[in-house]
Amino acid sequence: MQLILNSFIAGSIYALVTLGFNLIYSTTKFFNLAHGAMATVGGYTVFYFSKTLGLNILLSVLFGLLVAGFVGYLTNKIVFKPLRKRGATNMVLIVASLGLLTAIESLIAILFSSQFQTLSNNQVTQKLFHIFGGVVTQTQILIFISSIIIMLGLMFVLKYTLFGSAVRAISDDEEVAKVIGIDTDKILTIVFVVGSIIAGWSGILTGFDTGLTPILGMGLLLKGVISSIVGGVGRVGGGVLGAFMLGFVENFGIWYISSEWKDAIAFGVLILFLVFRPHGIFGKK
Amino acid sequence: MDYLVHILILFSIYGMLAISLNLVVGYSGLLSVTHAAFYGIGAYATTLLMINLDLNFFLSLLIGMVFSGGTALLIGLVLSKFKDDFYAIASLGFNVIVYSIMLNWQTLTRGPLGIPAIPRPSLFGFSFFGNFWFLILVLFFLIITYLIARSIVNSSFGRVLKAIRENELATQIFGYNTKYFKLTIFVIAAVMAGVAGSFFASYVSFIDPSTFTMHESIFILSIVILGGLANLRGAVLGAFILIILPEALRFLGLPNEIAAQSRQLIYGVILVLLMLYRPQGLIGEFKLK
Repeated sequence: MQLILNSFIAGSIYALVTLGFNLIYSTTKFFNLAHGAMATVGGYTVFYFSKTLGLNILLSVLFGLLVAGFVGYLTNKIVFKPLRKRGATNMVLIVASLGLLTAIESLIAILFSSQFQTLSNNQVTQKLFHIFGGVVTQTQILIFISSIIIMLGLMFVLKYTLFGSAVRAISDDEEVAKVIGIDTDKILTIVFVVGSIIAGWSGILTGFDTGLTPILGMGLLLKGVISSIVGGVGRVGGGVLGAFMLGFVENFGIWYISSEWKDAIAFGVLILFLVFRPHGIFGKK
Repeated sequence: MDYLVHILILFSIYGMLAISLNLVVGYSGLLSVTHAAFYGIGAYATTLLMINLDLNFFLSLLIGMVFSGGTALLIGLVLSKFKDDFYAIASLGFNVIVYSIMLNWQTLTRGPLGIPAIPRPSLFGFSFFGNFWFLILVLFFLIITYLIARSIVNSSFGRVLKAIRENELATQIFGYNTKYFKLTIFVIAAVMAGVAGSFFASYVSFIDPSTFTMHESIFILSIVILGGLANLRGAVLGAFILIILPEALRFLGLPNEIAAQSRQLIYGVILVLLMLYRPQGLIGEFKLK
């Protein structure tokens, strides 16, 4: 039972990263590897405000989300938008995002050291909940619930609002969307900011749950990439399903083998899917 | 003087890595982010053969090359199914898997503890123990790597690679089995990376998995892109710049931990700037579009 709970919690975190990643992919059609850095940025901003400055925790979390969104906005404004304007291929965009990820994470490591740090307060022990014979912490419940809410919210917005139709139009065909009068630049900016805020949230939650290191974002990002490929890249709902599947495969996998092989298992899944089902489990071309 | 020799040895090792990766990324247009895996396999194979079986360095080097090449053949077979960005992501996945194996196959690799006391090469009773003689040896191998790479890119085989990079479909129509070409160059590059790995292990005399992560692959990729895609001298130039630069940081008196992170910061920023303003690198002949 504990295993199933763990799988759900891991899946929820991956789902959060995947949501933002897929949202950006669906409109820009490239692997934004810098997306992972927003999780690190979010987590460390909260760390700075709540631990170093001693600010109220809720306020710090708010700042964390804002800063993550702002950095996401900057990456789009300074790097990705000019590149798209020039008609750069995915190769250029992926290399640029790889550079951004490396640069942002090492900048954070310089500012905060690469030591392991935790956001949760040591004095107050976390409340534990017993569900169906397994144990989960308060943070983990928050992780699960918030990821479900964000997922449903995002799907609702995409389906029923004007903004959502604009996003879907761009994801079908950016040129046509432009022709019928959609301000694609503006929509893409919003997509980057929203996606980055969600990534920031996942980084903050990880900080409360297990802890922070500067390379946290890279790890989360890779899981997000795997989840979205498993679920069908660019499909918001599919990505969530992929994330939970990955959570289950990893947790049951390490139960059979041993926990050190977690990453190898995850990437094994990635390679298998890329070879046999490159468009995800639903297999739409 | 000792310090200069040390820098030149590092430069030679990274020169080999960059030249070989340029064959894959620059000449064939395959964005591989897994070069550090073959670098590591070469290092581990040579080390284990020297320490466990007491083999001579050069024999171990040769077997290490076979191991890197063999692994590359298997990985390349899978990778040949992909293109562009999916190729990059899949290759990155293989780097993580290989790293994970180095870290967790503890009975063989001792995992995160690493393997200490790796001997220096010796041949017919002559030992390359001193750093100066080691430098001569590794420079010699750098030059050989360069010459082999040059003869590859100037051959008809190399021209087919460039044709695949520009338009794979058209090349297939001319009757070339492009998969075979891509696979061959991938294996050749991995063998060269394996050689670099063997020299690295023997020079530093200690290896652990942390040297062979995907960050290292990104670093080698930065060298190639900075120096210039599809230009062998560019790869050497890039290695020279990116090896010297962090050494300059050391003279600024930064602590080791910060210096290492600054190195990463610098090459991350360099990658972004290059993509924005000069996607062909300093003296490159092929431009990522």
